[in-house]
Amino acid sequence: MTDSRKRTLALFYCRNVPESSETHRQAIEKGCDEQIRLFPLPCSGRLEPVHLLRALEEMADAAYLITCPEGACRYFEGNLRAKRRVERTREMILSIGLEPERVGIVIGSKEVPKTLAQHAAEIFDKISQMGPSPALKRPANETFACEKRRDWL
Amino acid sequence: MITAEQKPMDEIRGMLAPYKRVLALGCGSCVAECAAGGEKETAMLASALRMAARIHDEEVLIHEKTVDRQCVKEFILPLDDMIGEYDAVLSLGCGAGVQAVSEMYQEIPIIPALNTEFLGETKDQGYWVENCLGCGDCMLYYFGGICPLARCSKQILNGPCGGSVDGRCEVNPDIPCAWQLIIDRLTRFGALHRLEEIYPPKNWARKQGSGPRKIIREDQQT
Repeated sequence: MTDSRKRTLALFYCRNVPESSETHRQAIEKGCDEQIRLFPLPCSGRLEPVHLLRALEEMADAAYLITCPEGACRYFEGNLRAKRRVERTREMILSIGLEPERVGIVIGSKEVPKTLAQHAAEIFDKISQMGPSPALKRPANETFACEKRRDWL
Repeated sequence: MITAEQKPMDEIRGMLAPYKRVLALGCGSCVAECAAGGEKETAMLASALRMAARIHDEEVLIHEKTVDRQCVKEFILPLDDMIGEYDAVLSLGCGAGVQAVSEMYQEIPIIPALNTEFLGETKDQGYWVENCLGCGDCMLYYFGGICPLARCSKQILNGPCGGSVDGRCEVNPDIPCAWQLIIDRLTRFGALHRLEEIYPPKNWARKQGSGPRKIIREDQQT
């Protein structure tokens, strides 16, 4: 039986991702009842493992990063560094008994660029298949349905 | 710089098992430079330990703090006001830091979160190499600034051994032959004659064998 508690996703993203302005961010968060929390970064290379870990500890069942396509980072290697940091975080959460899939990276495509909302929907669908995170402190009375609203797409 | 690496998570959790209130204590000096025990790494480890405790249904309180240097008493003193709140301190300092904090707070277990490794140089981002053994009797002058004790796999003072191939060490081809480097460098200075000297076996009594070493400078004391 699927756990009915709602899933939350912390989604960090490079501001170069298409349609990722502040207006888009607010619309997505509002549209999904804040089950997705969005964190814009000037470059994905700004992300540190501690950001992902803190997100998993404080507010999210999964924490993901969206970067620009390889070779398209305006700071040359920000997305390559981000990839290694995500990998390091996955190793760390594995060492405490958490599934590494709770942390991930999505590298944008030059050929088929997707908007922030499209990425967010795909990642949210993926993490919704997982159970609630045992590492996340939840309020005792939490019984939300895992409802997926799509009016922000 | 002193280099270190974080111990495996299972080992850290095993050592912390008896304690319910833990302070993760980072150090902002050498171990921050080698990304093992600075503020960021302390935050990461504390976060991971709190999550591990939740996963395993353990009631543990873990706070975090980083001081500028754990190996200097003056930098540890600010802990006086808070240390009483904890059953144990998880130190992300080097071995010297762990012991300095232990000496200050005799009643509280100070648990090492890192394995202290070596005196190293930062070669590149995320890349540290050992090039000093801290032998207490530096011979770098004679060897053109390249230490055969730290960098030659055979630690020979009268080299080369003759086994290197294309300037690479025969024991570990991943590293350059230290003696090739020494000869190339002394040649550049026009100081190759320094190798005509036969150097006697190293006197290791300056490094070990008489208990912990110490330096006393009365002009620096109050």
